[in-house]
Amino acid sequence: MGPFLQYTINGLTVGSFYALVALGYTIVYGIIRLINFAQGDLTVVGMFLGWSLLTQFGIRLLPLPVALFLAFLIPMLGTAVTNVVILQLAYKPLLKRSLLAILITALGASLVLQNVVRLIFGPQIQAYPDIVPLNGFGIGPAHVSYLQVVLFAASILLMLALYLFTQGTPVGTAMRALAVDHDAARLMGINVDRVIQIAFVVGGLLAAASGVMLGIYYIQIQFNNGFLLGLRAFTAAVLGGIGNIPGAMAGGMIIGLLESYTAGYISSKWQDVVVFGVLILVLVIRPMGLFGERVAERM
Amino acid sequence: MQAAPPVRERVAFGWLRDTRLGQVWTRLPFWLRTMLLGLVAALVLPAYGDDYWTRVAVGAAGFAILGLGLNIVAGYAGLLDLGYAAFFAIGAYTAAILMVNFHWNFFLTLPVAVTVTGLAGAILGYPTLRLRSDYLAIVTLGFGEMTRVAITNCDYCGGPNGIINIPFPSVPGFTVDDLPATVAQGFFTQQDAFWVISIFLLAIALIFAYHLAHSRIGRGWVALREDEFAAEAVGVPTLRLKLLAYVMGGMWGGLAGAFFATRIYAIDPTSFTFATSVQVLILIVLGGLGSLPGVLIGAVVTVVGPELLRPVADQRILIYAIALILMMLFRPQGIWPAVRRKPKPFYGLEEDEPDKLAARILREHQEQEAREDKKHEGAGHKVAAVGEPILVVEGLSQQFGGVKAVDNVSFEVLRGEIFSIIGPNGAGKTTVFNCLTGVQRPRSGKVVFNGRSIRGLPAHQVAARGLGRTFQGIRLFRQMAVFENVMVGIYGKHRTMTWQALLHTPGERAEEQRTLQEARRWLQFVGMESASGKLATELSYADQRRVEIARALASHPRLVLLDEPAAGMNPTEKQELVTVITRIRDLGVTVVLIDHDMSLVMRVSDRIMVLDLGRVIALGKPAQIRENPRVIEAYLGRDDDEEDAIGAAGA
Repeated sequence: MGPFLQYTINGLTVGSFYALVALGYTIVYGIIRLINFAQGDLTVVGMFLGWSLLTQFGIRLLPLPVALFLAFLIPMLGTAVTNVVILQLAYKPLLKRSLLAILITALGASLVLQNVVRLIFGPQIQAYPDIVPLNGFGIGPAHVSYLQVVLFAASILLMLALYLFTQGTPVGTAMRALAVDHDAARLMGINVDRVIQIAFVVGGLLAAASGVMLGIYYIQIQFNNGFLLGLRAFTAAVLGGIGNIPGAMAGGMIIGLLESYTAGYISSKWQDVVVFGVLILVLVIRPMGLFGERVAERM
Repeated sequence: MQAAPPVRERVAFGWLRDTRLGQVWTRLPFWLRTMLLGLVAALVLPAYGDDYWTRVAVGAAGFAILGLGLNIVAGYAGLLDLGYAAFFAIGAYTAAILMVNFHWNFFLTLPVAVTVTGLAGAILGYPTLRLRSDYLAIVTLGFGEMTRVAITNCDYCGGPNGIINIPFPSVPGFTVDDLPATVAQGFFTQQDAFWVISIFLLAIALIFAYHLAHSRIGRGWVALREDEFAAEAVGVPTLRLKLLAYVMGGMWGGLAGAFFATRIYAIDPTSFTFATSVQVLILIVLGGLGSLPGVLIGAVVTVVGPELLRPVADQRILIYAIALILMMLFRPQGIWPAVRRKPKPFYGLEEDEPDKLAARILREHQEQEAREDKKHEGAGHKVAAVGEPILVVEGLSQQFGGVKAVDNVSFEVLRGEIFSIIGPNGAGKTTVFNCLTGVQRPRSGKVVFNGRSIRGLPAHQVAARGLGRTFQGIRLFRQMAVFENVMVGIYGKHRTMTWQALLHTPGERAEEQRTLQEARRWLQFVGMESASGKLATELSYADQRRVEIARALASHPRLVLLDEPAAGMNPTEKQELVTVITRIRDLGVTVVLIDHDMSLVMRVSDRIMVLDLGRVIALGKPAQIRENPRVIEAYLGRDDDEEDAIGAAGA
């Protein structure tokens, strides 16, 4: 029982990061049916922006809450802008063309981001400063660090905000309308281009938020972290039913837990096999993911 | 047999084709041409004698084989595969283990590697057949990662270190290890030998891919890519074809993998990552999806390009990625896109006398029908004679959520008649159609066609039983030529097997010719022969409808269901449509028609059934229907302005 609780706690923490990245995938996918491969690398961009702020620009001299606030805010703005720039330059002209062409473009964008990070911050592993104390409290035999609590709470808050945004605001409603039918949404007077941009802004904000959290949690970061991260997050999004916001959150948590349990009970070597095995199994039984709805074939 | 007039196609390098040599060349079969070109290539590069560039060329040839395989899966069948490197890996490890642990000859490992990867394709394909493309993307990606992790953690496969000391391919009685001694010193190096082998393997891969692409299977794949739903409904067994695409794609990957193992001397899991899968995908998109010359060009560009960027080693991936994005922005269709338009599709085909055509189709149709009736009767089923019910529907019901779209509908269609189903919007007409054609499984009720129940059969089997259909919104295969669209309609009638298609046997060729001839006749029948070579998207609305009718008729169905064929047609076109429908009936094909155009329905129908809110409210001859008070109330409207009501219903 002891290790199980510990694995669960660790799994949920990591899962909440995956969920944030997965949300970035899901929001963009829901609107333009694009698997935005650059999302994982965008997260790494945010990760490195946060790292350079904390280590090289001396914002650590500020009181801790202010420093943390800035270390999240500035990278989030940075990745939001980056994401919109990628949209405008690379995806926008292709939106009316073949989906495969955009997909390849997204792969290209992913490579570009990865190599720009490598160019600027170097190929070596960098380390986040340990700004948040690692001590914590125990639940029975398991140890929970305050850091885990803070990060988990922050991701849940972000998800909640996002959920309310899509359900409660006019822009969120427009996004959901777009996910169903672009042309009908346009006819109803929705500025489609603007809504797509907003989706990319949201995707960018989420990317850096999760990136900085991952950096603080794992300490060690490298320019090529984005691939594995993106893969896990994308798996999470699909597992939950891509395009579905609560689905992405649940998917992220499930992937985090699966990983943690596999590492604990079997071996970390088999994490990917277990994760993808479960994914394939779920899709065979429920082809639209856990929370996805079956889309009727249009006659 | 009448000689075809010498019409020349207008193609790229047409002037080359017109030379004497060109004429001889074009008459050679594809395999011979490929082998000859391969021979030239095999000789030229060693003569050039730069070992470095030979090595690059060997790499490009290997990638071209991979590209040909992925092109089958993603280019033809349209299934996005992001884990293609898995097949590459499985092929490489199979061959390496056989060569290193069991001391097999390289050439003997090839069939085993290809078989194993084909099986792997089936294992990946089978559970994922029903997934939509984006879900498929992640599943294939997952499959790729799982394979890589599995071989990394497999001690028998050497774990993370992989397998080393993979021997050089040997031919009995000719060991290549002492090549430099046997051949003039250093002139024919090991790398040159690899080049010869790679060209040979590439030629084989290319020939088989070409044969498949130009068979009914290739046509079925493209149809499936263009519109899976329509493909299934006109008789293409889409699930089986998808599985076949995976198996074939896997086999090409296995071939490339086995060659890679022997070429590289030592393999380890890092050669088979997601990046490899992506490189192959980029290769085929860059070259032009579904285009064989595109694959070859793409392989050269993606392998040689990075080599040229070597001087800027550090930034080469960055430059490569930017080039990729620019390429997609300015030429998303690829360098050498596949265009299925064909200026003279029937070039060299026996000419039909236009005035005898109708008689000929009629004769063939009747012969075929008589043959089938006999077979049908022999199998113990009841054959409906003319005037007897051919389609019997009893108590058909279908429900969506709480809405009863079709509620206990019963009717009979008599062989040889034109039977129309009308009713206001939402009356359940299309739902009835979908239940008959296997698109939906009805909640309850019986559907008996030609003496056998067809309820719950998959759509392609319903089509094979002799029930053709058209669609309410036009569903032609947009990026296929008109004649190919019609040929897809004959898919279910083909008798040749996959191996015959792979080898392009005389039997398969003859059947292709017959199919082409058949497609041409049906296009003449609907008056569309002159547009045969165009793409389906290039036709006007009414012409697309006519092609759809030709496609539905091409398999000689017993009964054809026309779903709103007059929608969007002008009066002249409608008049032509009436002629076509009557001519279909004159062939002896039963017609079931849904349409909103009352004048059309009243003019052509023998009997009419009226649906309202999912129930039958009237059934009878046009004159009876016109006077039926319930019909007038439900359909023609409580409104004073009848014309408006009809117009609104048709909108």
